[in-house]
Amino acid sequence: MQLPRVRSSCALAGLGMVNALGRHADEIWPRLVAADTTHITARDDLIPDRKLLAGAVAGALPRIPGALRHYDCRNNAMTLAALEPLWDAIRELRSAVGPERVAVVMGTSTSGVHDAEIAIRHRERTGLLGPAFAYDQLEFGGVAGFVAQLLELQGPAYAISTACSSGARALASARSLLELGLCDAVIAGATDTLCGLTANGFSALQVVSSELTNPCSVNRRGLTLGEGSAIFLVTRESQGIQLVGVGESSEAYHMSAPDPDGAGAESSMRGALADAGLEPDRIAYLNLHGTGTAKNDAMECAAIARIFAAPPPCSSTKPLVGHTLGAAGAMEAGFLWLALHHASGGRLPLIPHAFDGALDPELAPVPLVAVGAEAPLGPVMSNSFGFGGNNCSLVLQPQAT
Amino acid sequence: MRVRVRRHAAWAAGLEDAAAWARWCANPKELERGGKPDVAFLPALLRRRCSPLARIMLHVAFHCCDADELATASTVFASRHGNINESIEMLEQLARGQGLSPTLFSHSVHNAQAGLFSIAAHNRAASSSIAAQDDTFGCAWLEAMTLLSRDPQGRCLLVIGEVPLAPVFADLVDEPEASYGLALLLEVASGDDGIGVSLAGRSEPRRPARWPDSLEFLRFLCSDANRFELASALRRTIWER
Repeated sequence: MQLPRVRSSCALAGLGMVNALGRHADEIWPRLVAADTTHITARDDLIPDRKLLAGAVAGALPRIPGALRHYDCRNNAMTLAALEPLWDAIRELRSAVGPERVAVVMGTSTSGVHDAEIAIRHRERTGLLGPAFAYDQLEFGGVAGFVAQLLELQGPAYAISTACSSGARALASARSLLELGLCDAVIAGATDTLCGLTANGFSALQVVSSELTNPCSVNRRGLTLGEGSAIFLVTRESQGIQLVGVGESSEAYHMSAPDPDGAGAESSMRGALADAGLEPDRIAYLNLHGTGTAKNDAMECAAIARIFAAPPPCSSTKPLVGHTLGAAGAMEAGFLWLALHHASGGRLPLIPHAFDGALDPELAPVPLVAVGAEAPLGPVMSNSFGFGGNNCSLVLQPQAT
Repeated sequence: MRVRVRRHAAWAAGLEDAAAWARWCANPKELERGGKPDVAFLPALLRRRCSPLARIMLHVAFHCCDADELATASTVFASRHGNINESIEMLEQLARGQGLSPTLFSHSVHNAQAGLFSIAAHNRAASSSIAAQDDTFGCAWLEAMTLLSRDPQGRCLLVIGEVPLAPVFADLVDEPEASYGLALLLEVASGDDGIGVSLAGRSEPRRPARWPDSLEFLRFLCSDANRFELASALRRTIWER
C-alpha cells in the first residue's frame, strides 16, 4: 500500500528576531552582512572565575503583562520582543481563522532556567525561592504556553527541546501541522537564554572558547555562547518565502560529540534536498552549523564535500551572534529568510563568514563567504546539529516569480 | 490522517506486565511515587548514565518494539518535567559555587532519553522531544502525527513518562505525583481503521486529573469505547475510533 504524502505550500509569512546584533530584523541585517563581531561582549557572571565572550541581547526587554506575571522570565521577555513586529498580522489571522486554528511550536533548550538559577540562589541564602518565581517560567513547555496565552490562541501549543536542533525542528513541525490540516497558521520559532547552567555545562565539556569562536580556522578552540529569539508566522499561502525541505536524523553515536565521519549530518542534508526535490547544485548558499569546535567543523565540512560536487558558498553566523543553542535553528532560518528577503534583480546577498582567515587545511574544502559577496538567487540551506545526536537541515526557497 | 496503535507497553512500580495493566485499566488504583524498572538490555555504561526518567522511558520503549522497529522507527519522547530534577541538582551545585559534572549535564537535557535510545537501539531515524505543560500527551500525539506524515510508510514510537518533581518545586504543580511510562508504536491507518483526532478550543478551567493523561489514554485504548477526550487549560483533544 502506498500512502502518498499530502504536500501543501508552507510560507514563512513574517519574521521577528532579537539577538546580540540587534532588536529587530532591520537593525540586525546590515550588521550581519558587514560581519560585525563587535556586539559579542565579555561576561564574568556566567562561570565562576572565568571571563568569556558571549552574544547577549543588549538593553531592557519588554515587560510581560501583569496577568501573565507567572511567565515573567528573561526567556519569555525575549520571546515577547521577537513577537512584536508580528503582532498585527497574528491578530488579523486569529480573527480570520479562529483562535483554535492557530498553533504554537517553540524550540528551547533553556526555557526559564536563568530565572530558576536566581530563585535557587535566593533559596540557598534564605530558604525560600522568592516571590517572583513560578514553575511556568522554568518548565520547557512554558515558552509555548506563554505565547498561546499572550496571543489568546487555542490551537495546540508545545515546546520542542532537542538541544541545538530545537528551533529547526519547530519549523519542521509547523509545516507538518499545516499539511495535516490540524491548524491554519503556526507561530513557530525558538528562544534560548544565556545562563549559568549551559555556560558551566558546556565549559565542563570543554567546548567553550575563551576567544571569539573561529569556525573552520586552524586556530579554532570551541564555541561562543549566545542568546536570542527568532519567530516566524507560518501559513499555507503559496506567496512569499517558502519552507520547502526538511531533513532529519539521529546519530546513534554519542551524547555530546558528533560522529566524526559526519554520517548523521550527511543524512540530514540529503534528506532536506530530497524533500525539496532539489539536486545539490541548486543550493545557492549554505548556513553552516559551524560551532567552531574541532569536531563539528571537521565532520560538517566532510559531509558537505561528499554531497556537493562543487559546494555552495558557506558561512557560519556563530561569530556574529554566538551559538544561541535551542534558538539557533530558527535564528539561522531567519538569516536565510533575511537574505532571500533582500535579494533583488536575481542576486542573493550572502552572509559573510567571520573568522581569522587561517583556514584549517585538514578540513574538506568549502568556499567561505567574504564580505560583500553575492550569488545568483536560488534555494538556501541551513544545518543544525544538536547535542544528543539530533540533526535537522532546512531548505528555504525564494518566492516563485 | 488516522493512526493505528500497533503495540503498546507501560510501566509503573508493581505494574510490570500486560495482565497487571489490564487489571489497572479496569480498576485504576493510586500509582507508586518511585520504583525502578529493569533495563538489563542496556550496556552497563549506558545503564549507569540513565536518570530515573530515562530508565522508565527506555524500558517501555524497548518493550514496545521488535528488533527491526527499534532500529528504524522515528521517535517522539514527551515529558512535562523531563529531567528537571537533575537540572535542579546542578542549579544547587552552582549556587554553592561548585563545578558541574559534564556527564550529568549532557545526560539531563530534555532530549537525553532520545539520545540514549538512539545509541542503545542503533536508531538513526528522525526524533523529537517535546513538552507542553498540562497538554503534553495530546501534543505528543500530534507531534508523532507530524513525523508519520513526513514518512507515511514508517512507524513512530511515542514514549511518554514522568517522575515526581523534587520537593522544592512539587507544591507548585497540581497533578498526580507518580513514576510511570507509556510507549505507543504508531503507524498510519488505512481507510476508516485506527484512531482519528480532532481539536477544539476551550475556556473553562481544567479540573485536577486523577490519573495521568497518558494512562487515561491507555484505559481508552484497552476499552471498547469509541471516543476519548482530554481537556487542558486552553483546548480539548478528541480521539475517535
